[in-house]
Amino acid sequence: MRKKKNNHPDHDMFFAEPRGTEYEKVLKEKALPDKYRWCKWILVVTMIVLSIRLWHLQIMQGNEMRLQSEMNRIRIKKVLAPRGIMFDKTGKVLADTRPSFNLYITPEDIKDFNETVDGLSSLMGIDREEIIEKLKAASNFPSSFPVKIKDDISMDELAKVEANRVYLPGVSIQIEPKRNYPYGKMMAHTLGYVSEISSEELKQKEYRTYSPGDYIGKYGLERMYESYLRGVDGEKRVEVDAMGREVRTLEKKDPIPGNNMYLNINLDVQMVVEKAFEGKRGGCIALEPKTGAVVALVSRPAFDPNKFASGITKQDWQAIALDKAHPLQNRVIQGRYPPGSTFKILTSLKALEDGLINTGTGFGCKGGFPFGNRVFKCWKKGGHGMVNIHRAIVESCDVFFYNVGLKLGVDRIHSFGTSIGLGKQTGIDLPNEVRGLLPSSEWKKKTYGVPWYEGETVSVAIGQGAVWLTPVQLVQLSAFVANEGVTFKPQIVDKIIGPDGKTLKKFEPVVAADIKMKKEVFKIVKEGMQGVVNEPSGTAYGSRIQNVHMSGKTGTAQSTPVQGRDLGDHAWFIAYSPSEDPAIAISVLVEYGGHGSSAAAPVAKAISESLFTVKPEIKEAMVRGQSR
Amino acid sequence: MVKVDKRKLYHLDWYLIINGCALFAIGILNLVSATSSFYSGSFNFIIKQLIAFSVGIVLIAIIVNFDYRTIANNAKLFYFISLGAIILVLAWGMAAGGARRWISIFGISFQPSEFVKPVIVLLLASLLHEKKREKMLLGLKDIVITFAWVIVPFILIVLQPDLGTGIIIFLIFIAIIWFIGMKKSAYATLLSVGTVLPIIAWHYVLRPYQKQRIYTFLNIDSDPLGVGYHTKQAMIAVGSGQFFGKGYLQGTQHKLQFIPEHHTDFIYTVFAEEWGFFGSIIFFLLFLTFINRCMKISQQAYDELGSIIAFGLGSIIFLQFSINVLMNIHLAPVVGIPLPFISYGGSSLISVLISVGLLLNINMRRYMF
Repeated sequence: MRKKKNNHPDHDMFFAEPRGTEYEKVLKEKALPDKYRWCKWILVVTMIVLSIRLWHLQIMQGNEMRLQSEMNRIRIKKVLAPRGIMFDKTGKVLADTRPSFNLYITPEDIKDFNETVDGLSSLMGIDREEIIEKLKAASNFPSSFPVKIKDDISMDELAKVEANRVYLPGVSIQIEPKRNYPYGKMMAHTLGYVSEISSEELKQKEYRTYSPGDYIGKYGLERMYESYLRGVDGEKRVEVDAMGREVRTLEKKDPIPGNNMYLNINLDVQMVVEKAFEGKRGGCIALEPKTGAVVALVSRPAFDPNKFASGITKQDWQAIALDKAHPLQNRVIQGRYPPGSTFKILTSLKALEDGLINTGTGFGCKGGFPFGNRVFKCWKKGGHGMVNIHRAIVESCDVFFYNVGLKLGVDRIHSFGTSIGLGKQTGIDLPNEVRGLLPSSEWKKKTYGVPWYEGETVSVAIGQGAVWLTPVQLVQLSAFVANEGVTFKPQIVDKIIGPDGKTLKKFEPVVAADIKMKKEVFKIVKEGMQGVVNEPSGTAYGSRIQNVHMSGKTGTAQSTPVQGRDLGDHAWFIAYSPSEDPAIAISVLVEYGGHGSSAAAPVAKAISESLFTVKPEIKEAMVRGQSR
Repeated sequence: MVKVDKRKLYHLDWYLIINGCALFAIGILNLVSATSSFYSGSFNFIIKQLIAFSVGIVLIAIIVNFDYRTIANNAKLFYFISLGAIILVLAWGMAAGGARRWISIFGISFQPSEFVKPVIVLLLASLLHEKKREKMLLGLKDIVITFAWVIVPFILIVLQPDLGTGIIIFLIFIAIIWFIGMKKSAYATLLSVGTVLPIIAWHYVLRPYQKQRIYTFLNIDSDPLGVGYHTKQAMIAVGSGQFFGKGYLQGTQHKLQFIPEHHTDFIYTVFAEEWGFFGSIIFFLLFLTFINRCMKISQQAYDELGSIIAFGLGSIIFLQFSINVLMNIHLAPVVGIPLPFISYGGSSLISVLISVGLLLNINMRRYMF
């Protein structure tokens, strides 16, 4: 460096003495040095003042301050808001909260890690590794953050822990509200369940107001209406002792409970359906065609939402998640099945409306329908002979509808079906509804790149082939007929009431489809559907009810073989009753149930009976409900 | 690319740089501990602080390339820019903690009042240095004219309300006119005004919460769960550190989260709790040697302009350091003044680094024309 400098032309200038004006020299030599001396003194005095003060605080008062800092354990604790209660239409509780005792460890209060963990492990019979794992999972949080070790401990366990608290520093028990479903598995798919928020969910924007350990609605209405049900957690500032026990509350902000919900579900009807579905697999939905209010909804097999609410164990979760019968699937909105003969209602409506057939049109049925190089069979081996539209619906003649389907073509079926809401979400207030599928020639071209074959139309006309619909879509078909061209969005929740009793939200009926069609069309189809149940030759004659007329249509849909095994046909029944002035529309699906007439129709019969014959007071309630 | 003159690099004040880096390193380590108890962890805070540091380093590199005289000649430009920014904050700035101190540009938040401090020093130096003033000592007229320049940002900043920065700006003004020297008559006038002004301020300027802090300062135990409660907790944190401290990351007071702003204005309590008396003394010495070095640069500056700037910048660091620590150990009322190099806050850190850049600039041009 130096060497280079020496060779530099600017060397002299660079190492020259500081230069300045004469005036400045005076300044630098006389006035300013005085100021710098002052500055030095100020720095020295500052240092002395700070040191003395620190000596006083840290050395003279140090012991006392250290003691205070150790005693000084004021914590901010969350006070969980109780979740909103769900009631049925008549005010019976379907989901509420109960107090529960939860076991926590606050890492900071632990004196001897092994003593506390081993002690708790042997006392409660919890695996040591499990406790350590839970503590590790919360290692990103301040050590004063209590980590939940076990949810919902029993009274016996509570007594054990309380008796041994002295030996378990850091262990504490919190009383917190816990979700409770008094009817267990019943309505599990409708009500849904709550569960602890996952670390993935915590990262999502939608959950940014949540913190670890919070319970959130993960399924069904609990999830759909999470923001209404949740409430606002409160907070309290508490002083805790060296054991982590609360000594006193210094300040408290009460939680605001969640909002209550009144459902359209009628618990009595729901129970009837639940009973009818005992031992069966499938789904059923019943709604008021004139409002879309869902009166009952059942999906089987079901699960017990209470298990989730109290911190589901690994074994329980795996049992549910790995069950081949898929208990977590809500068949009514997520099960896609070929609609079978119930679809003939749609075919009839469109063909009549377009004038392709009328009451006089007849087709001969010899038990089969040769088309292309194969024969499409009718379910009745001997054939129905000459049938018209009325008999074709009543006796569910396949050959008649093969002919009608060919006249219609798949695209007309598709566009009409879509316009009344098939093959798309109905908009029911439950999450994850599937769309199903209503095929068209365009769809096939797009999906498979090959044109549509007429032979496929023949299958579609009777609800087989590429038609995949959900029970909730078919209840809309039934409601469409019952209402003569109008359907409403299926709605499970009726109203949301704030904790102060004020109505926050009232769900008014929302029109889903409103299609102008000839009166005559509905008359013919309705007579046919009434005949299905009430004429001796009808496919559901066995499910007729005394005094009340029910109308319906059976369906027996071929199922896709599962792992090469044919498990049998799916049984369908869609219905509405009373036929004269429909108050309820029903759709029943029994998975692998066999014939619609024997497996599905009795469920609809039980619903109609319970509503209109067995308990007149319910019937009254229903009528009142409609006039609102 | 800016061409770096190796001769100037040779004249960089490495003492100041190393001393500053030591302070910043302590600051980062301490910030890790102070923010470790936050839900989001330290990560975000550290990243943001390091980004601010890098920006500051780039600014230093730019600043040293211009002669400080050129920079001082443009002081009025900087003055009006920062004045504009403060007015923007008052108009649209987003509310933070009940105060409007921040302005957000492209998603980055600035606290313009932080940058006013070095700008005021540049401005005062450019207005008052020997080539500009008529006589060697300042007369009352000089003081009043200069004060007019200072009072505008002072009022705007106090209105935000950011009393801490306002106080610093006011004290810098006092320090600089003292440094240059005043006539005896001016001294006398200022002293008499100085006794009347606090009374006016108490009645017309201070907000209720600011008065509350002063009351609390005077009588700590009267309000154990309110403002005094936090001061008390800060004292307990410092005191419980004892001689050798509780050890790094072992502090408990701030983790219980009842010292507010323990990563910004009260960050010294975190350090004192974990490093004790022993660490604190070293910490103080590092600050005081740094400030002393600033004074040395002032003394060695080529001209009086450089002397005034260096003195002013050193004063900022000194005032912020002493007031902040005094308030942490309950020898001064609580005002929002960050601890240079140590407190979390990008604007504050960048402002300090700009000062460092100017100091290096003055130092390396001390032998030049």
